[in-house]
Amino acid sequence: MALTGAEEVSRLVETYSSMLLRLACTRLENPADAEDVVQEVFLKLLTAHPSFRDAEHEKAWLIRTTLHRAADLRKAASRWNVPLEEALLASAPELEDRLLAAVRALPEKYGAVIHLHYYEGYSLKEIGKLLGLPAATVGTRLARGRERLRQSLKEEIE
Amino acid sequence: MNREAYRKAFDAIPFSPDFRDRTTELLRDRLREQEKEEHSMYIGKTKKLAVLIAAAIALLAVSVSAVMLWLTPAQVAERLEDPVLAAAFDSEDAVLLEETAQVGDYTVTLAGLVSGKDLSRAPAEYNGQLVSDRTYAVFSLARTDGEPLEELPDGLSYSPLVSGYHVSAVNAWTLGATCQSFVQDGVAYYLFDTQNLEMFADHTVYFAIYEGGVPNPATFPTAEDGSISLAEGVQGALFTLPLDASKADPAAAEAFVEGTGLEFIG
Repeated sequence: MALTGAEEVSRLVETYSSMLLRLACTRLENPADAEDVVQEVFLKLLTAHPSFRDAEHEKAWLIRTTLHRAADLRKAASRWNVPLEEALLASAPELEDRLLAAVRALPEKYGAVIHLHYYEGYSLKEIGKLLGLPAATVGTRLARGRERLRQSLKEEIE
Repeated sequence: MNREAYRKAFDAIPFSPDFRDRTTELLRDRLREQEKEEHSMYIGKTKKLAVLIAAAIALLAVSVSAVMLWLTPAQVAERLEDPVLAAAFDSEDAVLLEETAQVGDYTVTLAGLVSGKDLSRAPAEYNGQLVSDRTYAVFSLARTDGEPLEELPDGLSYSPLVSGYHVSAVNAWTLGATCQSFVQDGVAYYLFDTQNLEMFADHTVYFAIYEGGVPNPATFPTAEDGSISLAEGVQGALFTLPLDASKADPAAAEAFVEGTGLEFIG
């Protein structure tokens, strides 16, 4: 499978945009930054011509590349800005805002697993395939990430 | 807190309502640009007029060795109006190879290469930035049966490959390679340039000339020791580039491969 034509572009954007934007927002606070990241990922797909075995392989590539790029952008931004997650977490009045800040404050390895499980509804095995991790590792990260979120929000995650 | 609350928080993020339309348009524009670039890469920039080809045929007919008439790498650079690069090919840093291989009906000759900074009057652009640290290779194609070429052969691709790295991650497309070409005296000449390959010099670095598109494992299988070969049935040649291992930069190589986002493809 490769990105070869205008119809293929439409399919990719329609299929993956929303998922990748949300995923980028597990690392990035600004939605505009997430949009930039996702566009860069799609452009990279165009220029790098990766060859995918199937749709799952394609999805895994997009997810991992988005996470890498979002992490890179966050690191670059952190050179110039102090981390805001903790401040936002303490001051945000709305639960949604506090939850987003808490997810972004998680270490990268926990944030992706938490998001793919809680938002996208993937099983441990499916997340393992998408991220190239053993299912047991995914389970450990999910449990630890959930515990950190619980501590941050002082609430029970079911 | 439950899954519903989690989803609600992420659904509330205010993304641009026109993101999909903008992105689709951006990608389609890039696709069109890419098609133009690939067309340029395959077809080349210069074609000799038929009348000059006829003159070349006449010259060959007087039993002068065609090999003796072939252009040197420096002459190819001069022909492409790049005297700075021509000087680089004449310098001690250049490697003259003159290695030949058979690809289908053609005899391919890898004539020489040179690597370094600011070796060309025209630095290349990569991901929107000018890149002056490049590797340049000159190769030529001639019909093995001696018939002079009248135009550039179709369907051939050219790409560096590096042992130990996936062929989808390190190739002409990810390295931002470009290629200029022309036909003179019945021979097709190519000036290929890419990001400086010396960073990979502690690996075996190949230069592939083959029938096909973007390198993939079906065309270029990789052995357990990382060495790359040409699949059976694929028309092509795989040269090994004699790069100076002391100039390897493993950190830069790893950073490059990581930057492609393809390092995990197995």
